[in-house]
Amino acid sequence: MGLSKTLGDFHLRNVTLTIDDSEYFIILGPSGAGKSLLLETIAGIYSPDSGKIILDGTDITDRPARLRHIGMVYQDYMLFPYLNIEKNIGFGLRQLRHPSHDIRKATEGIASLLGITHLLSRRPDTLSGGEQQRVAIARALVIKPRILLLDEPLSALDAITHKKMRNELARIPMLTGVSVIHITHHAEDLISLGHRTAVMDNGAIVQIGSPDEIFQNPKTPFVAAFTGMENLFSGIAMDSHEGKVIRIGQVKIHVITPYTGPVQCGIRPDALIFSREPLKSSARNVLMATVTKIRRMGSIAWVVIDCGIFLTGVLTIQSLYELRIDEGDTIFIAFKASAVMVFPEETQKK
Amino acid sequence: MKGKFKVYSGSWFQGFLILLSGSLILLFCLVFTSLVLWPDTHALIRVLTSEEILFSIQLSLITSLISTIFCAVIALPVAYALSRYHFPTSGFMGMVISLPLSLPPLVAGIALLIFFGPSFFGNILRFIGIDIVYTTTAIVIAQFFVNVPYLIRVMRSAFDSVPPRYEHVARTLGASESAVFLQVSLPMSHQALLAGLTITWSKAMGEFGAVLMLAGATKMKTETLPIALYLNISTGDLDLAIASATILMAISVGTLLVFEHWFGVKRKV
Repeated sequence: MGLSKTLGDFHLRNVTLTIDDSEYFIILGPSGAGKSLLLETIAGIYSPDSGKIILDGTDITDRPARLRHIGMVYQDYMLFPYLNIEKNIGFGLRQLRHPSHDIRKATEGIASLLGITHLLSRRPDTLSGGEQQRVAIARALVIKPRILLLDEPLSALDAITHKKMRNELARIPMLTGVSVIHITHHAEDLISLGHRTAVMDNGAIVQIGSPDEIFQNPKTPFVAAFTGMENLFSGIAMDSHEGKVIRIGQVKIHVITPYTGPVQCGIRPDALIFSREPLKSSARNVLMATVTKIRRMGSIAWVVIDCGIFLTGVLTIQSLYELRIDEGDTIFIAFKASAVMVFPEETQKK
Repeated sequence: MKGKFKVYSGSWFQGFLILLSGSLILLFCLVFTSLVLWPDTHALIRVLTSEEILFSIQLSLITSLISTIFCAVIALPVAYALSRYHFPTSGFMGMVISLPLSLPPLVAGIALLIFFGPSFFGNILRFIGIDIVYTTTAIVIAQFFVNVPYLIRVMRSAFDSVPPRYEHVARTLGASESAVFLQVSLPMSHQALLAGLTITWSKAMGEFGAVLMLAGATKMKTETLPIALYLNISTGDLDLAIASATILMAISVGTLLVFEHWFGVKRKV
């Protein structure tokens, strides 16, 4: 029996997750999927309508938040603005009535671990986003929690700090032995952090796996779309003398799938091979197409083509010049039957 | 020509509104300065240091400080309860608590007079030897009764505006419910608290209607500043009346400045 909870417009539906010791676990999902509610329920801010929370074999479902030893870091840090950094970090230990010299020692210890010793006498509003983030993490870690919950820890940071912080976050389980649950709506965070991930949609877990599994083998069209699959279509799968094909309007593409009837299918942009002439290769799908739009972004270009359906492909700028592809040109694209991901047509979600 | 005119106002409509506001403010200034300038300065200083006025200042200061402290002690937990907990009668309770706010203080005062006077409760109090009516204690009670709803209102909206996530974090860090209140919610609302206390105190200094009803207007006994103003104007002693008015006005201006200081800062954020 998984965890369920309704709070206002947010829902958790039968969520079941197991996090290992010292694991860095990521929960990916769009805004409103119920990720924050899940974290707050784990932390004990809200009690679930049904289901259980087990920590180290003990049922803590009814244990108040303050006795759970689960640290929480919100996206906007929530540093107490009326306390300096040292007092902010020491807040938890003061609640536990540790002697003041112990608090001081522990605060200095965690501050030096996170490289924020020089900030101890400052006030929160004088700190940069990245610094506030570290302080919030220090404040949560100083009470030696079993689990550290991170709510969108990278979203509010600038690009450079983002990258740096990502590496530091990844080290936390190794440094402290704590298990981390990190929620995010950026699929890119998965690639760089590279740990076991659960994808959440509409309050439910739709897929759990390594980032590779989730990117290469999305279980639902939602996961596919959310992890950057640009080309998603509805069509009809049927058997033919050439094997299984899917009809999307006037276009027929070869696929490998056990499904027949109405399906959804997706093709990753990087699976499309562009050429000037019809390509002789093992790729089963070769289509003539017109280039409708080219978007250059840094060293790559997104190319939208019309082959009866609109597909988006990606090329390096170099390939784009070598093939001399321009808007309005007629070209050929090829992709393998196995590159097409097929999902049975979903019944409409609530 | 048209462009030059635009520097001062965008339209005739705008110009008219600004002119109207200016006239009103001018009227205010004229009214208040004429009050202060009416008696000659020597006479004003003399009455300001007269025994009666000094007594009134002292009585007003003491009663208003005590009533403000009581207001704070009661309003803070009540406001927190109304802001944080949603129980079946919380909406109704919020309404009842706000009732004295919309009531004329005279009505609140006469209700208090009946309650502490001839009512059953008043009789019990007198039976055990406590008589509130027409005493200095009555001044404190009247001020408290009229002002506590106001402070509850202010603090309730202050607590409402504290992001609950601060409290969530405190709870995960081991803070008990009372620790969350004392160490998070209260310090997070300290600006509103200071402003609210200042206004409560200033309102207590100036409270007239409810005090008049419950404590009466006895010279040199229940003579707070507003009562002194009232007593002296009824006996035609204009200088004394104006002296009390001047002090009350100074307090209001001071309060306004303090209020603007705390809330002016907050508004910019």
